[in-house]
Amino acid sequence: MKTIRPLILTLLALVLAACGKSGPASPPTATTPASAEPKKLSLFCWSEYVPQTIIDDFTKETGIKVSVENYSSNEEMLSKLLAGGGKYDLIQPSEYTIEALIKDGQLLPLDPGALTNLGNIAPEFRAMSFDLGNKYSVPYMAGFVGICVNTSKIKTPVQSFADVFVPANKGRIVVLDDAREIVSWALGSIKLGINDVTTENLALITPLLKKWLPLVKVYDSDSPKTSLKNGDVDIGVIWSGEAALLYAQDSKFAFILPDDGAHLFVDNMSIPKTASHPQNAHLFINYLLRADVSKRISDAFPYYNPNLAARQLLSTEQLANPASYPPAQKISVMQTFRDLGQLSATVDELVTQIKAKGK
Amino acid sequence: MPEPTRQSPTALGLDPRRASWKAWLLLAPLLVWLALFVLLPTILLIVTSFSNRDELGRVVYSFNWDNYRRCFDPTWLSIFWDSIVYALLATFICVLVGYPAAYTIGRASPANRRLLLTLVMVPFWTSFLIRTYAWISVLSQEGLVNSLLLSSHILPTPLSMMYTPFAIVLGLVYNYLPFMILPIYTSVEKLDNSLVEAAYDLGAGPLRAFSRVIIPLTRPGITAGALLVFVPAIAMYAITTLMGGGSNPTIGEVIQNQFTRARNQPFGAALGVLLMLLFLVCFFVLGRKKNSAHPV
Repeated sequence: MKTIRPLILTLLALVLAACGKSGPASPPTATTPASAEPKKLSLFCWSEYVPQTIIDDFTKETGIKVSVENYSSNEEMLSKLLAGGGKYDLIQPSEYTIEALIKDGQLLPLDPGALTNLGNIAPEFRAMSFDLGNKYSVPYMAGFVGICVNTSKIKTPVQSFADVFVPANKGRIVVLDDAREIVSWALGSIKLGINDVTTENLALITPLLKKWLPLVKVYDSDSPKTSLKNGDVDIGVIWSGEAALLYAQDSKFAFILPDDGAHLFVDNMSIPKTASHPQNAHLFINYLLRADVSKRISDAFPYYNPNLAARQLLSTEQLANPASYPPAQKISVMQTFRDLGQLSATVDELVTQIKAKGK
Repeated sequence: MPEPTRQSPTALGLDPRRASWKAWLLLAPLLVWLALFVLLPTILLIVTSFSNRDELGRVVYSFNWDNYRRCFDPTWLSIFWDSIVYALLATFICVLVGYPAAYTIGRASPANRRLLLTLVMVPFWTSFLIRTYAWISVLSQEGLVNSLLLSSHILPTPLSMMYTPFAIVLGLVYNYLPFMILPIYTSVEKLDNSLVEAAYDLGAGPLRAFSRVIIPLTRPGITAGALLVFVPAIAMYAITTLMGGGSNPTIGEVIQNQFTRARNQPFGAALGVLLMLLFLVCFFVLGRKKNSAHPV
């Protein structure tokens, strides 16, 4: 019993501390709305992707309170969405995840009448194979996965993914914490397509991954730029938007799109069929499609903006950032991820296992 | 106000030996809470740990031992081991740092005591995530510590401190230290000074008085603190991911990954059940040790 008393006292103290903390965080109750839907929206989006100021301005304009939850991989989003842990009104899946969600009947068809700003999106992004004609999804941002090099530290030329994972770079590498991505780089480096995921091909790249992953110092999908900026690593395979931010701060950070394995990703806005505020979600999508709003997203997170009207508002400096807007001929040959079906589980397992071993 | 104190427990319907329905009523909120948030989740976890998953990662209920069989792969066992080592190190350092602090606070004058206790609690006023991010800017290659060491020419090249086991243990110690100080403090506060004086009177030196009298008397606090640090530290994933960079995975990180990006909830659940068993063993061992030390 002697142990119990200090335990209880400590827990009490902590609970009190926690209560004091949670007080101001709880949002004020919304005034009763006149419209059919309560003025609420639950947004489930990528971390470092939707600027808070834009969400605040949307609330100011419409009175709709937005609660935000972040994820750092499509797989994480999927597991939380399908576990039914939270009722999300708006999600941001990438192309292959849209494909899987449509196949499984998880998405609500969009109401084109409510999306008056859809015309701002570039024609090529309105004809993406995973959702022709934007029945279920609207592009939010696109981008690339490539190599970011701190050229003041790494002097040897880097052209392919294989150049990143060399013994000289051991402990100096950051990569996205994303099994599908990691596998696609390995596939690219042995001249296979990013979607050529088969059991045989996975067996082919396994020795490669076993050589590569122990060299990695940091796995980070949320903010891979941080460790590069702080000098804890010197080279990384990261999102183009993150590389663009680094380049805008210091041009020593070069962004390289390898000919093999670099790919285009398109992140979209979709409404899950379980959404409780689909009307508000449409309002928010249409708001994000506005040229001035989309331009501000590009200011904060300089990815490849599929919104042509917004792109016209960008400065020449922004458009000249090689990580945001690489040469068109590079983009035109890039592939996008396709849904892998059953094999995605195998990919997850393979990478998790090698990652865990690599130390 | 009537005088309820005059009434005997029996008159109030509170039989001292057998719990009446009133006593059960008082207990009910706790029992409901335990059933909803401890018992039910545990059952769910155990059921999930024997299940399968489908293409999208949803749990498909079935019965098989595959997930447990996979847990005993050397990969996961070595991660289990690393996590235990990190947590043990953190607990040990917390005792070393926390004991003198708690002792000083417990022996201070009441006014100072309140101030010192508040200082221990102050870090809890900010989210631990923010405090952990602060460590990143302190420890990184171009961070505070390295800039100081370089500019004062103590070191020629920056130290690599972030994303190492060192950073993990530091993060754990920093975040869990108050959990060690507070229980030890409550023990020290209750420490009967006359017993310490008696030790001196009977010829014990400071070292002997400390090891034979003070330590055994404050052991309950140390045990409670050790449990409060070790148990959460072993399963912690947020701090270890941020400070360890994911390349020194801990079991908490692996489990969290199974529930999120790896989309293998059944396997994550199986690892979770094993972790729970480990905690049970800890409680059992520490409880027994305490009893044997105090055969009263």
